[in-house]
Amino acid sequence: MINLLKMDLNRFFTNKIMYVLLLVFIACQVFGIFMLKQYEQPDGQGEVLISNMNESEFIQMMLSQTPSWILMYIAVFTVYFYMSEYNAGFYKNYISIKNARRNSVISKILMLGIFTLLMFFIMIIADLIGRSLFFQNAAFGGFGYFARLVAGQILLHWAFSVVVLCAAMLIKNAIPSIVTGIILGLNVIGIAAGALESLISDTNLTSYLLVNTIVSIKDFNHTADVIHVAGVAIIFLVLFSILAVKYKMKEDLK
Amino acid sequence: MSSEIIEVKQLTKQFKLKKAVNNVDFKIRKGDIFGLIGPNGSGKSTLLKMIGGLIYPTSGEIHLFDNAVERNHAYFERMGLLIEDTGIFPHYSAYKNLDLTAISYGLKNRKKHIHDLLDLVGLDKSNKTKVKNYSMGMKQRLRIAIALMGSPDVLILDEPINGLDPQGISEIRKLIWDLNKTGITIIISSHILEELSKVATKYAILYHGKVIENITKEELLLQCEDRIEIEVDEAEMAVLILENHLGIYNYKVMDDRIIHIYDTASGSQQITKKLAENNIYVHSISKHKQTLEQYFLERTGNGGETHD
Repeated sequence: MINLLKMDLNRFFTNKIMYVLLLVFIACQVFGIFMLKQYEQPDGQGEVLISNMNESEFIQMMLSQTPSWILMYIAVFTVYFYMSEYNAGFYKNYISIKNARRNSVISKILMLGIFTLLMFFIMIIADLIGRSLFFQNAAFGGFGYFARLVAGQILLHWAFSVVVLCAAMLIKNAIPSIVTGIILGLNVIGIAAGALESLISDTNLTSYLLVNTIVSIKDFNHTADVIHVAGVAIIFLVLFSILAVKYKMKEDLK
Repeated sequence: MSSEIIEVKQLTKQFKLKKAVNNVDFKIRKGDIFGLIGPNGSGKSTLLKMIGGLIYPTSGEIHLFDNAVERNHAYFERMGLLIEDTGIFPHYSAYKNLDLTAISYGLKNRKKHIHDLLDLVGLDKSNKTKVKNYSMGMKQRLRIAIALMGSPDVLILDEPINGLDPQGISEIRKLIWDLNKTGITIIISSHILEELSKVATKYAILYHGKVIENITKEELLLQCEDRIEIEVDEAEMAVLILENHLGIYNYKVMDDRIIHIYDTASGSQQITKKLAENNIYVHSISKHKQTLEQYFLERTGNGGETHD
């Protein structure tokens, strides 16, 4: 497993396009902050000006607005990383190694985790640059709160990438897989399911859907919210990882 | 351990309503170059993918190295695969493609191993060129190098000469011979019998998912050799006359009535006359000449019926 992970890491870090895309992401994020400054309005709930928000509040606000750039990036990267190997047929070079099917999926899942970490790191750096430049405010807020928020969102986004990985494995075609990833990222399913639920019952089960949890603002000082986020992230992560591995174990490879 | 290192029994693969491979049986011995021949869509790739562990059989058994693989998938580790024209990242160099494969195998001393393989397939000088700029022949040689990365005992080559020019075909042929000399058993599929006949030592003809004939190289050449076919009442008596009166020793008795004479310098009339003089009734006599292509088409062109 370690060898396949090393191979994926090598592919990941020697891909020049990835660095270009990350720079584009930073540029977009900084530009987004510039635009927020240009059209700044008080936040609807707390009447807090965006430029006065600390990093934790800013991240929550940005992630709650679909389409989230970071979700789109994760969706596209997930499909690209899996499908480029699948379409090139490169897996045939190592698939005869013992447990290669299972290990290759676990390796991809770990790589997605690393990419999600990297994306959040880049996003925080970009936020700091943009907020310093345009808001003259680089405050983080409480470190404990910030750490819980970032850890929770990283787990949720990682779980999202694994859901997209499953979709790509099933669809086996890059463009439809990216479209599916974007639809999931736009929370079309969550919004539709939420609307349907509100029509037929008083429950709030759809708040436990993955993207609904990502886009909803949580209070990470509140244990129930932390458990909600961690629970949803871990359940989706584990469930879809198992599905991905099981599927690969039984898949007839082209 | 027996000399058979691969055995497939009643192997079947069904995709929805279509049986791509249907109850196939054959054995491959260590050191064989096993040619799998059949027209496009006959099930060659599907069969090779099952042997290589890429797809699962619907029914039947695969035994690798005397072990049923259903119980232990680790035996696939001893196979090197070149199945269909994929397996390389076109925007990477040959070295990088090999390096990624070497990393996934966890090889120590990767650099030396990669250069040895590049040297073996004749790509050492162009190892830094992006693969997308390679010729078809160079890509195929690189794929073979990648398939050899895990030092396999068996190399599976699916249509390795497809799209190659004569020089490329010749290079691949030489490479196959060289690899076989090092003790690697090779399974090679093609729809070009003429080319396959130059390398393979044993063949299976596949048609509509079924093996319609298993034949050795010697048997195949014998089938395609110029010959006179005679049908007589008693083949045993006839051969005595052929030997004693006509000095013909290069023949084969096919059954009680049929004899194949490979000494085609002997005239048909002379043979008929001599047999008749010795009271051997000749039912038919004909000269037979068949190319490898004709032999193949005869077996696959009319529903796969064999004509022995």
